[in-house]
Amino acid sequence: MSIVEIARTTAPGVTIENLTIAYGGLPAVSGVSLELKPGTITGLVGESGSGKSTLALSLLGAVSKPGRVISGQVVIDGIGDVTKLEPEALRRARGAKIGYVFQAAQNSLNPLKTVGKQLLDLGKAHNVRNLREAHPLLERMGLNADRVLRSYQHELSGGMRQRVGIMFALVLNAHVMVLDEPTTALDMITQANILQIVRDIQRDRSLTTLIVTHDVGVVAEVAQRIAVMYGGRIVEQGDTHRVLAEPRHPYTRALINAIPRLTGDVDEAKPLPGTPPTLATIPKVGCVFRERCPLRMEICDSVEPPAVGGVACHAVNKGDAS
Amino acid sequence: MSNNVRRRFWRGVWAALKRRPSRIAGLVIVLLFTFMAIAGSWFYPDRLPYDVDNIYAPISWKHPLSTDFEGVDVLALVITGTRGVLLVAAAAGLVTMFVGTAAGLYAGYRRGAPDSVLMRIADFVLTVPGFPLLIVLTTAIDVGTWWKMALVLGLIGWGGLARAVRSQTLSLRERGFIEAARGLGLPTRHIVVKQLLPNIAPYIATNLLLAVTAYIYAQVGLYFLGVLPLDTSNWGVMLNAAVFQSGALISPDALPYLLAPLGAILLLTLGVVLIVDALEEIFNPRLRER
Amino acid sequence: MIEGRGITKTFGKDVKALRGVDFVIPRGGAVSFIGESGCGKTTLGRILAGLESFDGGQLLRDGEPIKGNAFRRIQLIHQDPYSALNPTLTIESTLRDPLRLRAKQTGRPESWIDSRMEELLNLVGLNPGYVLERYPHQLSGGMRQRVVVARALTVDPEVLVADEAVSMIDVSLRLGILGLLKSLRETLGVSVLFITHDVATARYVGADGELYVIYRGKVVERGPVETVLADPVHPYTQCLLSAIPVLHGLEKPGPDRLVPNEPLDERTEPPGCLFAPRCPFANPVCVEQPPPLGKLGDTPQDHACLFPASRHVVAVPLR
Repeated sequence: MSIVEIARTTAPGVTIENLTIAYGGLPAVSGVSLELKPGTITGLVGESGSGKSTLALSLLGAVSKPGRVISGQVVIDGIGDVTKLEPEALRRARGAKIGYVFQAAQNSLNPLKTVGKQLLDLGKAHNVRNLREAHPLLERMGLNADRVLRSYQHELSGGMRQRVGIMFALVLNAHVMVLDEPTTALDMITQANILQIVRDIQRDRSLTTLIVTHDVGVVAEVAQRIAVMYGGRIVEQGDTHRVLAEPRHPYTRALINAIPRLTGDVDEAKPLPGTPPTLATIPKVGCVFRERCPLRMEICDSVEPPAVGGVACHAVNKGDAS
Repeated sequence: MSNNVRRRFWRGVWAALKRRPSRIAGLVIVLLFTFMAIAGSWFYPDRLPYDVDNIYAPISWKHPLSTDFEGVDVLALVITGTRGVLLVAAAAGLVTMFVGTAAGLYAGYRRGAPDSVLMRIADFVLTVPGFPLLIVLTTAIDVGTWWKMALVLGLIGWGGLARAVRSQTLSLRERGFIEAARGLGLPTRHIVVKQLLPNIAPYIATNLLLAVTAYIYAQVGLYFLGVLPLDTSNWGVMLNAAVFQSGALISPDALPYLLAPLGAILLLTLGVVLIVDALEEIFNPRLRER
Repeated sequence: MIEGRGITKTFGKDVKALRGVDFVIPRGGAVSFIGESGCGKTTLGRILAGLESFDGGQLLRDGEPIKGNAFRRIQLIHQDPYSALNPTLTIESTLRDPLRLRAKQTGRPESWIDSRMEELLNLVGLNPGYVLERYPHQLSGGMRQRVVVARALTVDPEVLVADEAVSMIDVSLRLGILGLLKSLRETLGVSVLFITHDVATARYVGADGELYVIYRGKVVERGPVETVLADPVHPYTQCLLSAIPVLHGLEKPGPDRLVPNEPLDERTEPPGCLFAPRCPFANPVCVEQPPPLGKLGDTPQDHACLFPASRHVVAVPLR
């Protein structure tokens, strides 16, 4: 195999190092380091204000003004540091190297054009005449390709729109895929189908995938690794099953405990006191979670906990948390 | 509303205005013209002093805008001429606002037959060419008093506002808080006035201000064409006199006399446009407090 | 007790949203409706709250048909707490208006309104001093939803219809709202109709109540929540429950978990069971014969299947 062919068939790794992104002086993402190993699916979990969407957009180099990357880098194998790319190189990378699937509810599909027409537009923008991958991609996802290409956005169900979004992300043969809340607007059965598709496509096309979501269940079903964000920081990351079985950061624990379950004692699920911080209310010093933390110590007020062994917590690092 | 909330509202209004200096400029201009309209004539005698030896005088401190064909100070003419057009325009604007808003709200909220009927009428009002109709009407009806003129003007222009208010109402009535108000058994009048209206306020306010400027233009146009009687003193009459009676178009000395009323209109329009920019922020609590 | 008998609703000419649904909401009880989008559960909730008309059947309250003002006893909690509150009004205005109406109806003085406002806000877990003078955009999603509940309580309702009441709220705040609904049942004796596609939240609010599974406008399974979850007998219920994500690491999939199947194409209407085209266990008979709702096969719950079979599909905890 030639070098080019090897590059086309192996998934790239993505390394985010010490990334800080701020909106007019307020950091939405702060000192985040995350590695997406080639060929894996990583789940980024967070609530509103956690910074997860901003982090996802940074992979595309698409953080919108007034947001700016203050420091750090986002290195994608085969592309380089996305934060330092020239605008033209960035435009070419989007779609061709990095596929982004938006939330279904946001309808990144143009309501006035058919899917097929938008596909042609995409091809023109990237100087590709024949988008050969569109048909097989749609069929692989269980859709009648011809029919879908002829349809307008409002003629498709939520699940179909989500599949079309995935097709657009991958039609130019991208090997990095970012899915932003892929199943939020969908009901359970459709969600299960989409997640199955993500798993299958991931394997078939050697992708490295990042799924951004607030739903721990979604991550549990598809992702090998999980990263939990709060107030712009990653508070815990690691192997999904291990983190779910033995969460170490107090926020992760509380979050998992706050999920109502289908079996067992109903009252075992406990709510979290307080509210998640907004961009304006994220504490500037110390641990961002301390207001709601049962393990709060004095040091948490002044020193931001470093990430040790995947967990950023003073109490855990000291060995106090059992 | 409690006093605290009221205070915060006005502070928010001031903050919205301060946010861009152009808005303050607009406010100053509009207030200036309003003052001129109300109190302008108090500073001058009923019959302005004329000096036939001093027609089209060169610009000086005594006559910053030169003089007219009779030697009357142009600045004085502009100031005293404000009330003539502004009063009627403001009154007409209010007529348009009430009729258009009421029609749009009722049609949009009730829907069905009242909606169709009202919108047919609004469409008719919208499509009939305003200015020619005005010319016809003013020759046919006696519009001697200012409030008759205001009524005629106002009733010609409410079509657009009615349509805009209706479409806003249609989309708002499906929102959760309107449905909730219905479900709670709140009376229709309350829902329309207390719940819907504050959400439509920015459109109405914008429309009101822009309508007033449109009505100023309309009046000036009518006076200029001589359709309306030239017995009062206002900008339109000035223009008419300048162009048709004193050959201002030919004589360069008369240029300030010709341009002064035009300048006044443009300045006032500018002021209104600058303020309109602030309206959405003023009425939306979320934008107001930022 | 609220009862619906044979409720049917058709939108436009031929969109059959509800095809004859029977349900009972006991006083102070909890009933949950689950199903996919478009199954009719939201329409049913809106009909119950008086926001939508229905074409056939009866809606009864203690045996009497519900008309006009009686619908006020049933209040809807919307999915989106932001659009459920008027952005131009403070919370105080939002609460005062319905309370003023209530005061007039029950012959209470103006002074009662202020104390009742505080009482209701405390009841839903909010600080009146903080919340009353604020606008909706200044509150978090969880707080807004609590205000919506407080507003619903101003008319002393008997039933709260919660339609996806927590789906737009942050996960860490959801239990707070769900817990509130639960406690309102206990303290005020209010019944809750919980409409959702997140079955676990339905269980949290009404584990002691009934669960209705709705498919294309028909009830396909109905019974005590715990029974239907542990021993579903209708294949659609089993598909629905199988689709719930498993928290691998904490749980493992149920032994009989089914593979998901979604309708992607135009929906046909077979004369028999509506689910037959998608059903993994369908028989030629199923397409012909419409299954009645009953206890065929001696099942503890009602179901609409000709070949009911209990399958354990729900995730099993690992410890």
